[in-house]
Amino acid sequence: MAVDMSMPVLVVDDYKTMIRIIRNLLKQLGFNDVDEATDGTEALQKLRAKQYGLVISDWNMEPMTGYELLKQVRGDDKLCGTPFIMITAESKTENVIAAKKAGVNNYIVKPFNAATLKTKIDAVFGV
Amino acid sequence: MGKETSRADEITRVMKEIGTDANGDVAINEILSLAQIMSRSMDSVYRAVENSIQREFREIGSYIENMKSDIAGLQANDLKQTHLPTAGLELDAVVEATEEATNTIMECAEAIMCADAEDHDAYKALVDEQIMKIFEACSFQDITGQRITKVVETLGMVDQRVSRFAERFKIDDAEGHFDEEEAAREARKKDLLLEGPQAKGDGINQDEVDDLFSAA
Repeated sequence: MAVDMSMPVLVVDDYKTMIRIIRNLLKQLGFNDVDEATDGTEALQKLRAKQYGLVISDWNMEPMTGYELLKQVRGDDKLCGTPFIMITAESKTENVIAAKKAGVNNYIVKPFNAATLKTKIDAVFGV
Repeated sequence: MGKETSRADEITRVMKEIGTDANGDVAINEILSLAQIMSRSMDSVYRAVENSIQREFREIGSYIENMKSDIAGLQANDLKQTHLPTAGLELDAVVEATEEATNTIMECAEAIMCADAEDHDAYKALVDEQIMKIFEACSFQDITGQRITKVVETLGMVDQRVSRFAERFKIDDAEGHFDEEEAAREARKKDLLLEGPQAKGDGINQDEVDDLFSAA
């Protein structure tokens, strides 16, 4: 099964430069419909207003972290099926386990490269 | 000791006189005389107590004097007004410089990414120009390195002064947090697992993350 490159992707990060990096990498991979949010609260509003095919989120943000966003998404009947990838500098085993337990589809440790991002997106969509 | 005994004898004598009065009345001068003797007998006690209290006050005074001198040695105002704000400004400048360089590099990369490669000569000229800009942007590292060194020096200075103070007064850390704000911040970090970024070797790498994901 191929990944649908036309699906809207929501990138969540409080660091504008990181959003720009991920946006460019996604563009290189063929994704052109990319929106952004700077924390979990803003992301949740956008997720409720538009149907996204994938969420790529940082962990450490304020006021709502990516981990809280993940739990909110998984606890919402309408959003619970949205694929969710965490891209974060939180690289402790307990973080990965907590995210997995909360229902994250994949986990990328910063710094990362385009190949890793592609591999993880492919894995989420079963490619 | 002899003085004490003679005063005791005197008191006994006066007491006897009071007790043996034929009328059973106690004269005012006898009471005064008794009070005078008793007051004189307490003099030495008062003096001894006074001396020990004075000695203790002198010791406390000297301790406070030393502490004042050591607190002054911390040069807290100098740290608060000069070194720490300067360190903060240096870090702000580092963030700004790295952000500026990152943006410049990304703009160059984006220009190359969007360029039309049909016209080979024009494309090569554009790539050369953007690459030069990338090289120039990378020069931020030298200046940020110097700024970070200054911040590390300030931290070292604070560490040295505070450690010397704590060691001199054998100060143990108090339990809990400095204030409620710090307590709330720490609780949030703990609850939401916000400990990153980890130092090299403290966290796990992507392969180990993948192993955790593939494990049942």
